[in-house]
Amino acid sequence: MSTDLTSSDPQQLKTWLQAAGKRDAAAFRSLYEATSSKLFGFALRILQKRELAEEVLQEGFVAIWNNAANYQSHLASPMTWMATIVRNKAFDHLRRTDAAVEIDAEQFDSEVMNALQDPQRTPIETLQLSGDAKALAWCMSALEGAHRQVVALAYYHDLSHSEVANQMKLPIGTVKTWIRRSLEKLRVCLAKGERA
Amino acid sequence: MNIRNNPVLRQKLAAEYVLGTLRGGARRRFEAWLVQDADLRNTCTEWQQRLAPMAEFAGPVTPPHSVWRGIERRLDLKKAPAPWQFLQFWKNDNLAFWRSLGMVSTALTAMLLVIVMTNKPATPSYAYVATLADDKTQTAMLVTADPRHHDMEIRLASNLAVDSSRSLHLWAVPKSGHPRSLGLVKAGTTVLPLPANAIGDDVAVLAVSLEPKGGSPDPNGPTGPVIYKGAWVRL
Repeated sequence: MSTDLTSSDPQQLKTWLQAAGKRDAAAFRSLYEATSSKLFGFALRILQKRELAEEVLQEGFVAIWNNAANYQSHLASPMTWMATIVRNKAFDHLRRTDAAVEIDAEQFDSEVMNALQDPQRTPIETLQLSGDAKALAWCMSALEGAHRQVVALAYYHDLSHSEVANQMKLPIGTVKTWIRRSLEKLRVCLAKGERA
Repeated sequence: MNIRNNPVLRQKLAAEYVLGTLRGGARRRFEAWLVQDADLRNTCTEWQQRLAPMAEFAGPVTPPHSVWRGIERRLDLKKAPAPWQFLQFWKNDNLAFWRSLGMVSTALTAMLLVIVMTNKPATPSYAYVATLADDKTQTAMLVTADPRHHDMEIRLASNLAVDSSRSLHLWAVPKSGHPRSLGLVKAGTTVLPLPANAIGDDVAVLAVSLEPKGGSPDPNGPTGPVIYKGAWVRL
């Protein structure tokens, strides 16, 4: 894990993204260096296949360059904005090619998973995550394991309630309730800046 | 259905829209509301901000360099590398080049000459170099940076072994302010991206600290002892 901690600073990313909006290729390159491994890891978990993930990462960064001038920093952090673009590109790709992805039970890196399950044992502070991701990890660790998995499945695999229900072998009503409650808990927890 | 005065439902629908579980007719209706309801769009953006950090939970994986080359090609970002730049390097910077060489060790000079002499125009021209030594001035590491390709290569002396429960963390040390993390160094040769702030005029020294596995938990500097350091010289 050679994530450059300094250049993951949201303020620095914002500066590079805004410069990329003004066609600064060097800033764009720095932005790529600082974020591509996180975004590639994400695309790879969604798509499972390396060559697809490489293509989607490339399409994602082309879209990031082309839309950087429209990025509004008061609405979303640079990582949120870029991750949303990559996620949409990944799902577009799957729909376009009608490719079936084999859904793995684990969406998350095993170390992150351990920390979410038992933050006493694997402290969330020690994970190589941005501040936003640590805050979300705290709040997700407070959810029940199966509830967390339902939210993660939907987020990573673009699944409907009934698809999640099939995947988890649960009644659809249960899935709907778990998702609704989990999202509400996350909202309240993140608003409080709560620590587990 | 009017959702304007139903804040609970607005939150629920926006959250499920962002998560992706809002489907079919409900999704289309929601998208129609989005067009005319700026506040609802903001609610969605807030949900993106809450959920998108989940992307990081996948764990980082370094993409192959071909991805960047593809982006560069598709966006036509790369200006053709001018072959004369290599020659200019010899002509114009000759004096500065040899002067700076005078400041570094003779061992390094020998290594540098090998690098420079085997350097064809097609290969990167190293513009920054540092030899990092321990407190007994024993050379431990050679760092060469190529700002044109935004990367740097770190070669660890072959006789050095790193305990597998620890990591060597490389830092650019500016004249004022926090050290800047450059990444972790493995045994043998490591290639790392070269951030723009690693070669600013204010960065004079590179340093390596011995850290827990995964690197310093503090993004603003080493938590373990600094074991190697050396001057960062511009050629």
